[in-house]
Amino acid sequence: MEFFRKTLDPIIALAALAVLNIFMFLLMGAWTVGGGETMMTGLAAQAVLGEDINRLPFWNIVFPPQLDYWKIYISLGMLFGAFVGAVLSKEFYWRVPRHLSEWILITIGGLLMGFGIRLAYICNVSTFFGLMPEMNMGGYLAMSGIIAGAWVGSLIYKKILEA
Amino acid sequence: MLSPVVECVVAFVFGSVAGLLMQRSRFCNTAALRDAIMFKTYRNTKAMLVAMMILTVGFTGFMSLGAGHPLRFDVGLNTFAGLFLFGIGMVLAGACTVSTWVKTGEGNLGALWALIFTFVGMFLFSVVWSASWWPPAPQSMTGQINVPALQLGFANAQTLQEKLGVPAIVFGLVQTALLFALYRGIVKRERAQHTEHEKHQQEHQKKKAAKAAVQAAAATQDR
Repeated sequence: MEFFRKTLDPIIALAALAVLNIFMFLLMGAWTVGGGETMMTGLAAQAVLGEDINRLPFWNIVFPPQLDYWKIYISLGMLFGAFVGAVLSKEFYWRVPRHLSEWILITIGGLLMGFGIRLAYICNVSTFFGLMPEMNMGGYLAMSGIIAGAWVGSLIYKKILEA
Repeated sequence: MLSPVVECVVAFVFGSVAGLLMQRSRFCNTAALRDAIMFKTYRNTKAMLVAMMILTVGFTGFMSLGAGHPLRFDVGLNTFAGLFLFGIGMVLAGACTVSTWVKTGEGNLGALWALIFTFVGMFLFSVVWSASWWPPAPQSMTGQINVPALQLGFANAQTLQEKLGVPAIVFGLVQTALLFALYRGIVKRERAQHTEHEKHQQEHQKKKAAKAAVQAAAATQDR
């Protein structure tokens, strides 16, 4: 199939996603990422810590772990869809970062993303494809934050590339 | 209201299509911001703006009719600060949460590693929150400005409609026009970059031709 041979124009891909996102907005709510990941973290923490998880009120009050939380399945779907797309277009192969510095950057980046998502209650997807189009005040705050952050991140990244 | 199982199925179908489309188009939200800032290229930025225009019209349009499920929680300093940290993190990790899932699906172990540490970061936050109790939990959100908690409350196109009596879509169209102006600005800039690039190439070729002519002349003289 042509679809699996050529790179798709991202404008077409995102326009199609926007239309689907409107349907989901009508049924349940706009596309978000972060809530599902938090639930997964909570479920994992529950599995590891058992009763001890009650010592962290966050998991009682803000995010009681539950398996039937729909946002988890958006994320699992993305993993599945990307896997199918990669296999069918023969683009699936194991990629491993080579340098230690890459692993360190990824680790720090991941930690900052996870911490930031929870602090804000949202991530970049809900910022641009949920809150902003709903014209939520938080969308504008979040957008200013992410642009400032990406700018600072780019400065740090450039410094590291030069070094 | 849908049953939770139906919601999960709809979410999984949506996620799968999203994952497939992003894998095939190599769209990345991180790139949409990072490339515009670092490299002045806008392939992903334009796609993001197009989606935002469609969504703004769609969401505010249905919100005018009282349909849809907009997000509902208080925002404040934590919203800015959290996304600021996120912005730094996504550039360092080279992917946002969405593309970490997509890249993991393509077999990228670095992306899987970023994802694992996103989970660790979330867990760390849960520890910090359990000590600080800030930002306020959904149960204690008031929807109003709350200075001691550094919260601005809640407002979106729907609350504007209720307060001002103007349909939400009107605000939505204003925002769409602004997004479109930004989009057009980018396209213009790209065109300028393109002509600049062509000019450079033409000059380069002219120089090359002149050099070749000199060399050819020298060669005939030698003979």
